[in-house]
Amino acid sequence: MSELYIAKEKFPDAVRRLMDGSRVYGPVLEGQYHSFAQLKEPEDADLSFQNTRLSPKGLFNPQAERMFRFSLAKGDPEAGIVKEVPKDYSPRIILGIRPCDAVAFQLDDKNFDTETIQDPWWVKRRETTTMVGLACNSPCGTCFCTSVGTGPFDPAGLDVLLTDVGAGYVARGITEKGKKLLSGMVGGSEVSPRAAAKAAELKKAAEGSLGKVFDTGALAKKSMLELFNASFWDEIQFSCINCGTCTFLCPTCWCFDIQDETCQESGERLRLWDSCMFPLFTLHGSGHNPRAQKLQRVRQRFMHKLKYYPEKYKGGVACVGCGRCVKACPVNIDIRRVARTMSAGCSCPA
Amino acid sequence: MRAYTEKIREAAKRLFAEKRVDAVIGFRKGTVPFMNEPFLAKDVDQVDQLYWDSNCGVNLANYLPKRTDRVAIVAKGCDSRNIVVQLLENQIKREQLVILGAPCRGMIDRRRIAAELKGKEALQTNEAGGKILVAGRDFETALDREAFLQENCAICIHRNPVIYDELVGDLVPEQENVDRYADVRQVEAMSPEERRQYFDTLIAPCIRCYACRNACPACYCPTCFVDEAAPQWVGKTTDPTDTRTFHFLRAYHLAGRCTDCGACERACPVAIKVRQFTKKLEKDVKELYGYEVGLSLDQRPPLDTYQPGDPEPFIK
Amino acid sequence: MSDWEPKIVAFLCNWCSYGGADLAGVSRLQYPANIRIIRVPCSGRVNPKFILATLRHGADGIWVSGCHPGDCHYIEGNLYARRKFTLLRSLLEHTGIEPGRLHFSWISSAEATKFAETARTVVEAVRAAGPARHFIKKQAEVD
Repeated sequence: MSELYIAKEKFPDAVRRLMDGSRVYGPVLEGQYHSFAQLKEPEDADLSFQNTRLSPKGLFNPQAERMFRFSLAKGDPEAGIVKEVPKDYSPRIILGIRPCDAVAFQLDDKNFDTETIQDPWWVKRRETTTMVGLACNSPCGTCFCTSVGTGPFDPAGLDVLLTDVGAGYVARGITEKGKKLLSGMVGGSEVSPRAAAKAAELKKAAEGSLGKVFDTGALAKKSMLELFNASFWDEIQFSCINCGTCTFLCPTCWCFDIQDETCQESGERLRLWDSCMFPLFTLHGSGHNPRAQKLQRVRQRFMHKLKYYPEKYKGGVACVGCGRCVKACPVNIDIRRVARTMSAGCSCPA
Repeated sequence: MRAYTEKIREAAKRLFAEKRVDAVIGFRKGTVPFMNEPFLAKDVDQVDQLYWDSNCGVNLANYLPKRTDRVAIVAKGCDSRNIVVQLLENQIKREQLVILGAPCRGMIDRRRIAAELKGKEALQTNEAGGKILVAGRDFETALDREAFLQENCAICIHRNPVIYDELVGDLVPEQENVDRYADVRQVEAMSPEERRQYFDTLIAPCIRCYACRNACPACYCPTCFVDEAAPQWVGKTTDPTDTRTFHFLRAYHLAGRCTDCGACERACPVAIKVRQFTKKLEKDVKELYGYEVGLSLDQRPPLDTYQPGDPEPFIK
Repeated sequence: MSDWEPKIVAFLCNWCSYGGADLAGVSRLQYPANIRIIRVPCSGRVNPKFILATLRHGADGIWVSGCHPGDCHYIEGNLYARRKFTLLRSLLEHTGIEPGRLHFSWISSAEATKFAETARTVVEAVRAAGPARHFIKKQAEVD
């Protein structure tokens, strides 16, 4: 089924039915902020949210991934054998994910799912997860998805796109996986022309409310070396405090560190989120650190997102305009301002 | 506090003209409501970007340690006390600094405002006559400034800079009869089990981004204990024991050095009230050793000295 | 549960407390075998990181002992340590460590009896607090 309408009164039951067959994750309010957590009840999901504080990338690439475990305990039949840690790949549904975050996973795929190397956990989780996205009727002041090639109603990366038209949701199946999910949904009915028109009107309004905050075309034309050696980095880097906030919240940041943690006779190998903002990120075993200076690290982050990635993969920037870094940066380093500076090639005040 | 902007710019221009400084550390206007960005003006052409309002909660003293140039720095009361700590700890030399003291009436807590707006997004803000004016997509409201200050500002007793070369505003009256330790006493009244739960819940959202540590002007160790690998004292995951160890030990490292500037709580992306760890030590240091951080260049920090008669009621 | 024996890690300063422990041994004084001693040059060497690491490893109790103030072999190590321990203990108790787990003492190298007595006191206090359950890091508790 490719389209249906679910009235809001019927939605909890529809979700409950989904929960019978899959683990369903939705935006749950925890303290001041929302995060994607497994729903115990359909009502746990707060679909009136703007967006979660942390991106949902943790559902595919957790902050700490147990890779292997090992033991040297006497008498342990598996002593001395490195064992893979079993994972739960039972079907999952992510309900209410925003289009920007879903597109981010496609950008992340370029890293985790390539022709030569596949990250087994990422790939398997992607295969067994269905993404039921929620279009943004009123994007935030910090959103700039339309400037980076996506949009508040962008279906790319989603299996199903929900649009909140007031009294209910218009659900559109985008992929085969999504259409299959819709076929199994309860409480749906045909989409009335009025609902369809409302959805189209909301899309237009949302996209129109977002201006263009920088020109990715102009950025693409700039010489990489010229950008690298530009003098404006000195000004941009000053306020950065090199915490990991931007990288941890960002849906397209994937850098990791691998570490073994041992306790007496057993241990495990963990893959952990790392951040290019941390001074030790590039510390070599020899003791040399090519990015020992803050300027080098700050420059690297923006160049990676806005220049290296598009040039390497011949596509768009590695940013989906979710605005999390803009909201959360403790010193208000604004990627929109940096990108404008980069594409104009000058130090623009605002 | 708006008039400060003019004074800061005037002082900066003058200091550049007199060649007394190589740069001025201040703020420039932020790109989102309730935020301003720390800014380093390197020549007189950049001076007009300097800006000041009630959203300048970041502690600029954070940018001082190990600097080798001469800088002017705009310092509120708390910032100036952190400068004193840095001077005591030889992280910067007095001769390098021209301190532009900024008497402060408290900084606005953007999270308190967000909670008040209940999910509505602030798109513009202004300040007038003791009120914070907030406007969004389809709403406008005026909030009482005093009710939306950062928690540490609400109980601040050192609003005026304790060390400065010139002032960019008139001295403000200090708050009196302030109970700085109500929250500490609340925890002190709990049983050990309740206290453990309290702190476990407090730091549960921690994502180990280290924004709190990096925003702190007193945290400047070249190698932080979390990065020590041989031995490794703290794991790098969000394991609750590791997270607890990090916050505990960081707070402990600030014993007798923390000025309660609130930069840590302000920086935290998930709004953890990390000051609940440091407030207890501030109270202890005051009660046990009669010491208040950052008030005098003649007093050594409490853990850097001792008295023969130091209390030791628990030592057998 | 009844055959649980507390494991207590004791940081003893080399010049006084360790000497006192040694004298207790040589004098055949009886004290509980639950103490695992780590010798440090001075009580001032004891870094709060050590105490936290000990807790993380699952020690049921921690005991730090040094020279009496004024008698430190390094003159003032224990005087700095006194302030360190006061603040550390205060913050540990404030954040929920059970009373009876953390102990400090000044024991000179001649005070063998005091060592044995203090050892007994410490062991009983830790026994009353029960096996350590919190602040222990074994496997990372992550999803």
